[in-house]
Amino acid sequence: MSAPALSARGLARHYGGVAALRGVDLDLVPGEIRGLIGPNGAGKSTLVDVLSGRAPGSGGSVRLFGQDITGLGPAARRHAGLARSFQRTSIFPALPVGAQLDLAARRVGATDAPRLLDELDLARLAAVPAEQTAYGDQRRLDLALALVGPPRVLLLDEPAAGLTAEESLALADRLRELARARGVTVLLVEHDMEVVFRICERITVLELGAILAEGTPQEIRRHPEVVRAYLGSAAA
Amino acid sequence: MTIQILNGLVYGSLLLVLAAGLALIYGLRRVVNFGHGAFYMLGAYAGYTAAQAGGFWAGLAASAVVLALFGAVLDRLVFRALQDRDPLVTVIVTFGLLLVIEDAVQWIWGTEGRSMDAPALLAGSVALGGDAFPVYRLAVIAMAAGLTAALLAWLHRSRAGLFVRAASLDPAITAVQGVNTDAVAMLVTALGAALAGVSGVIAAPFLSLSPAMGGQILVDCFVVVVVGGLGSLGGAALAALLLGQVQVLGAVLLPDIAALIPFLTMAAVLLWRPTGLAGKRL
Amino acid sequence: MSGAGRIAAGALATAAAGPAIAALVPPGVLLSLLAQACIYAILALSVGVLARQNGMVSFGHAAMFGAGAYLAGIGLGAPGLLPAEAALPLAVLAVAAVCFGLGLIVVRVHGIAFAMLTLALGQACFEAANKARGVTGGADGLTVALPREIFGLPAATFQWAEGMFLIAWLAMVALAALAALLARSRFGLLTEAIRENEERARFLGYGTVLPRAAVFALSGGIAAAGGVLYVLYNGFVSPETVHWSVSGSALIMALLGGTRTVWGPLAGAAVYFLLREQLVEVTERWLGLLGILLVLVMVFLPDGLSGLPRRLRRQRGAEA
Repeated sequence: MSAPALSARGLARHYGGVAALRGVDLDLVPGEIRGLIGPNGAGKSTLVDVLSGRAPGSGGSVRLFGQDITGLGPAARRHAGLARSFQRTSIFPALPVGAQLDLAARRVGATDAPRLLDELDLARLAAVPAEQTAYGDQRRLDLALALVGPPRVLLLDEPAAGLTAEESLALADRLRELARARGVTVLLVEHDMEVVFRICERITVLELGAILAEGTPQEIRRHPEVVRAYLGSAAA
Repeated sequence: MTIQILNGLVYGSLLLVLAAGLALIYGLRRVVNFGHGAFYMLGAYAGYTAAQAGGFWAGLAASAVVLALFGAVLDRLVFRALQDRDPLVTVIVTFGLLLVIEDAVQWIWGTEGRSMDAPALLAGSVALGGDAFPVYRLAVIAMAAGLTAALLAWLHRSRAGLFVRAASLDPAITAVQGVNTDAVAMLVTALGAALAGVSGVIAAPFLSLSPAMGGQILVDCFVVVVVGGLGSLGGAALAALLLGQVQVLGAVLLPDIAALIPFLTMAAVLLWRPTGLAGKRL
Repeated sequence: MSGAGRIAAGALATAAAGPAIAALVPPGVLLSLLAQACIYAILALSVGVLARQNGMVSFGHAAMFGAGAYLAGIGLGAPGLLPAEAALPLAVLAVAAVCFGLGLIVVRVHGIAFAMLTLALGQACFEAANKARGVTGGADGLTVALPREIFGLPAATFQWAEGMFLIAWLAMVALAALAALLARSRFGLLTEAIRENEERARFLGYGTVLPRAAVFALSGGIAAAGGVLYVLYNGFVSPETVHWSVSGSALIMALLGGTRTVWGPLAGAAVYFLLREQLVEVTERWLGLLGILLVLVMVFLPDGLSGLPRRLRRQRGAEA
């Protein structure tokens, strides 16, 4: 069996006395879109931060296609093929949309920036400073900055945060097409269950910093612990 | 040597009162007041004029009142209006105020140095280990200790002090709790400016008055709040007393490099905690 | 015309305006003032480069300016050691190199903390210039005798208002053109991106400390070049040149003109000297008025005077 695209073993993170992650094991199969769900404070964003090198882990290891990247900083992880987006839009406000995507592409030797601008409806905004574009455009730009290359593994922290339900579903479909066409492995943190159930092949449920369940959308919907802890009766 | 250590304590006490004001304003407004040295100088001159009419204590009181009013107006017209802007903009505005105050003081009081007498009660000197030491300098230490104790009591015992501490931790949440943070900030800016004015008057009898007196002490004050942790009065107190010793003892023991030690310490602290002082990003 | 072509054409046209100004302005006090203004405009340019590319506000750039002046002065004072043609560029390079090393450390400090740090470091340099009497002459300053010829020009050229005005004008235009070309290069775009959002730049795979340190070095080198011209013209440098009020003036020039554009600080320096000349005629309260102007500009025109065209365009756009 080939190495997992992204593999975490025993990932832990403590702030002071509080454990935000308590020994998380995670394996992403190359090419899959994995959903990561859990109640507020479950540690989803912390997990993405530790995987992407934004926050130091207190223990455990991370491997990218077998390569140990545990000690690497964010820039080195990007070179190794791991990219991420941000829950709170993280772009370069004063720079034109096209220029910042170019900057992202150039660093990883990518040539797909113009196509990506087209595919994410940003081409018409290429010369406009990002701060003058609509919120939805900025969300797609944040995604484009992470997706250009393409990276081998993409961590998405609530890419649809703040979008309307309709916009969220449209973005989800677009995301699925883009990831499939490029063979990118995706870990998707998302609040919107409809989005997760729609595009993810498998779903991991996090609760109190540990994995509660993992399975296909059907399995997760029926999982008694998940229903009790998170989904509630409404989704059952 | 005892005399040197005492002199260090005197300067440290002065820095403490001044830095406490800077730290208070930072706590509420997240702005480092580059005009703080100018407030100190303005306070000294205002006190000087009042003291000519009514003596030292009248000067002290007048300086506190004038600077408190000045601080309140500054907070209302400048800090509140700019609170949603980049803090650097407000910092530069306080730098502009520094120029205005220095120039206004030159206009009103001229450029020649002035001196101010210590109150008669505290004139003269006492013998300490065979050396004469001015009583007024001992009084400076006592005044600084008294002011600090009063400030701490106010912050920790009174209702207003509770609001101040809460608002420095998180203005938004405190506002949600129904505290009028703008009023608290105005009070604190007034208090911080008054402390600067008071320290100017306290300094006047042993450091002479000049329009340039605010420049050097501002830098020392920055060193104090950075090393002690902005917004932390205890840390600032410790740093002020240490810096006082370094300034005075250093000048005796290591005259060549003493002047550089504070700056290097400040740089080291900033680099050690680059994202901010007292854990807050600046 | 390409952007780089536009910059080159603009620089050539501005450079050509220098001799015209020198010819039109009556020689004497006014021309000497213009020469000084160009030298300080170079210092303002260096402060602006740091603010524009790195988003860092410096209250200590007189240190680099003074270091350039002192090093050049010391180099010229030891003609047996180095020819002047080597000493002057070396002074600039040495300051840039030290700034690069220092930059690797200080660019990790942001915002207000950086402003406080530069004020303190500037003050430390002021103290050092006062204390190191053996090297700097202490508070008395350093008097510098120029060699008979530098770069084939007689020494008198550098200390004669018309000569120095032309030299400083050309240097100012050349350095501004260099800064403008750099700003629109890939490197310039990268540093702007880091200024806007350093964390995201790291997540795009960029190291952020080296580019920021390089900008700091460039800014220090430009300031030092201004200092070299200063010592050539005045034949003298003292700790007053390193005083924080000089750093403050340079920062004010940069902010009045605005740091969104490379040329803003130059415009700011022009306004600064023009105002000073007009105001000192009628009032002694020039510094206070400058302070008020600075406050008004920061509150109502945060992009400075050079931000005005853009602001007006936007307003017209909003009305249309």
